[in-house]
Amino acid sequence: MPELVDALKAAVGAGTVPGPDLRLALIQTDDASVLRKAGRALAKLTDPDGRLRPLRLSVVAACTVGPLESLLRACLVGAGACPAIEVTPYGAFELTLATGGFDRSSELLLCLLDESYFLPDDLDVTAPQAAGPYLEERLAQLSGLLGAALRGSEATLVLHTVPLPRALRDTVLSLRARGALTRLWHRLNAGLLELAEEHPQVQVVDLVGLLAESQVAARDQRLHKYADLPYTDGALLILATEVRRIAQARSGLSRKVLALDLDNTLWGGVLGEVGPQGVELGGLYPGKSFADLQRTVSRLREQGVVLVLASKNDPDPVDEALRRHPAVLLRPEAFSVSMVNWAPKAGNLRKAADALGLGTDSFVFMDDSDFERGGVAAELPEIAIIDASGEPAQLVDSLVRHGWFDVVELTGTDRRRPELYRARGLRNDFSGGFSRAEDYLKALDLTVAIEPVTRFTVARAAQLAARTNQFNLTGVRFDEAATAAMIDAPDRLALTVSVTDRFGDEGLVGALWVERTARRWSVLNLALSCRVLSRGVEFAIVGRLAELAEQAGAQVLEGRFTPSAKNSVAEGFWEKAGFVPEGGGVFTFAPGRMPDPTPSWITRVDSAGSAKSVDRVESEEQ
Amino acid sequence: MGNTVDSVGAEVLEVLGEVLSQDPEALRAQPVLAGYDWDSLASLEALAQLESAFGVRLDLRAFQAVRTVEEMAALVAATLNS
Repeated sequence: MPELVDALKAAVGAGTVPGPDLRLALIQTDDASVLRKAGRALAKLTDPDGRLRPLRLSVVAACTVGPLESLLRACLVGAGACPAIEVTPYGAFELTLATGGFDRSSELLLCLLDESYFLPDDLDVTAPQAAGPYLEERLAQLSGLLGAALRGSEATLVLHTVPLPRALRDTVLSLRARGALTRLWHRLNAGLLELAEEHPQVQVVDLVGLLAESQVAARDQRLHKYADLPYTDGALLILATEVRRIAQARSGLSRKVLALDLDNTLWGGVLGEVGPQGVELGGLYPGKSFADLQRTVSRLREQGVVLVLASKNDPDPVDEALRRHPAVLLRPEAFSVSMVNWAPKAGNLRKAADALGLGTDSFVFMDDSDFERGGVAAELPEIAIIDASGEPAQLVDSLVRHGWFDVVELTGTDRRRPELYRARGLRNDFSGGFSRAEDYLKALDLTVAIEPVTRFTVARAAQLAARTNQFNLTGVRFDEAATAAMIDAPDRLALTVSVTDRFGDEGLVGALWVERTARRWSVLNLALSCRVLSRGVEFAIVGRLAELAEQAGAQVLEGRFTPSAKNSVAEGFWEKAGFVPEGGGVFTFAPGRMPDPTPSWITRVDSAGSAKSVDRVESEEQ
Repeated sequence: MGNTVDSVGAEVLEVLGEVLSQDPEALRAQPVLAGYDWDSLASLEALAQLESAFGVRLDLRAFQAVRTVEEMAALVAATLNS
């Protein structure tokens, strides 16, 4: 990710603070080599307008710190802090703590330790348990030093558990003795964790436990021998990330609101397509993964995280599914604000923030759609965004791993917060309008290809007819045979619609079936996957159809709408495209004499081949 | 096979320039590392950045023996070829 480092350098060079999008990218980057470069680039960061929260941090180490300072800086800037970091002199760990020889105005004091601080030089490998009293004494000495360092200070002191090096473990040959050494070591680490109970200002990071679940090695033997550097960049990044989370919780930089999509995020599948009984939730995989996510979200709510529902759906089926599906753990009352409508999500989130009286910078938004995440990121870059696409088994991890919602301690208000905010949210009305985020749509580079159905695409077209319920204008479901018969029929035309944007290829997402006479073209049905709704694709389709009809000499293009229980999203479509209602669900348009409804942000690809084949059919008819 | 001082030289120069806060051209003109703040911290930073940029692990003894930018490029090229 050299772009991230370059963008940070550019911001620092211009004397400005990196924008919220860059800061969020810092938090969501796992690559230690990128972050150490980012941290170096941020060393000259200035914040003349005071947009970041100043934070003083001192590092006191019993070993070499390596790139820890750069990694800490990158992580802390990511959380919205402007850090001033002091690394106290090498080789003076105990003296620095005992005499308070660090920046006394520091809010955070990080102690970096390795096993050599605790192990006796003359460890008896035949009877390691004999070292027990020595380890206890070292721990007690450390506790005394911490007490001395914290006297008269309000700093939070951060310690960590210490890994037992594998080479030492393997040097002990007797299984029993090795077990004894391992036990001693776990007791030592338990003792380190207990220091947080002894000293209220101490926080202990379980580095050992975190390393066990990560892919990085604790140590690079070369750097340990060469430079007394006990931890790899990856291990130091784990520590720096935890320090960031502590700083964030301590400074009120954590987030309070979790806005969630429904379809393919809180359950598998699309409610509008499969109905409340058909969504994947609970039971075996993959439903189990979505149930686990709901359980985790519910646990976050118990700890004060305010939930917002942000779903493009009709409200009634959502309400029914949330109330009646037996595996749903997040009932409608769990959400303080519910934004279930077809309006752009960025606007919905802004309204939710207004209703809650909170800033959008306290929001985290989780959605599986590249389009929705992209739209929110473009309009509200301060919102932290979680990608819920891909493997559902990873959903819980994606939600919690960055520690967006950490707090130092839970208060009674935290636990009551979702209810308080729910009451506030209920006082507001969210009918949600159809406003267009045109700038975002323009930046999407939407390309729509409308082509006659072929032997290769007929199956997909029939599948769209069968499965699409929401944007399905007449409910007439042409099957594969009926659609294939239209390929060569002079009085019929079946077209498919493919969409690509800068996020990638959506594939074949729509189909339409048309009856043609010399004077009148009638759309028998138009089905469009709800994945691409609200981008204006449906208007580009009509634009192309009007063009084809005009080329064929037709005077009238006719559309129909037959309401169903699920297609309310398509209601009013023909009027919005410029058609005139004729009554009885029939709408008409004069090709060539009425304006092309294709939106300005869509590029239509009307391949020469497809146009020709339509013309040919027409000329045969005439 | 086939990595040469020429093929890796520009990127090595860029990494060292970044670590030593020097313009790559200035570093090319005056390539003796000891002429800059080539202390233990800078050399560790260079080691980490070269290893991540080229996806290699450099032999530390050979790394310590390096005196100039060209020698560093030669070490990286030789490691890539080994």
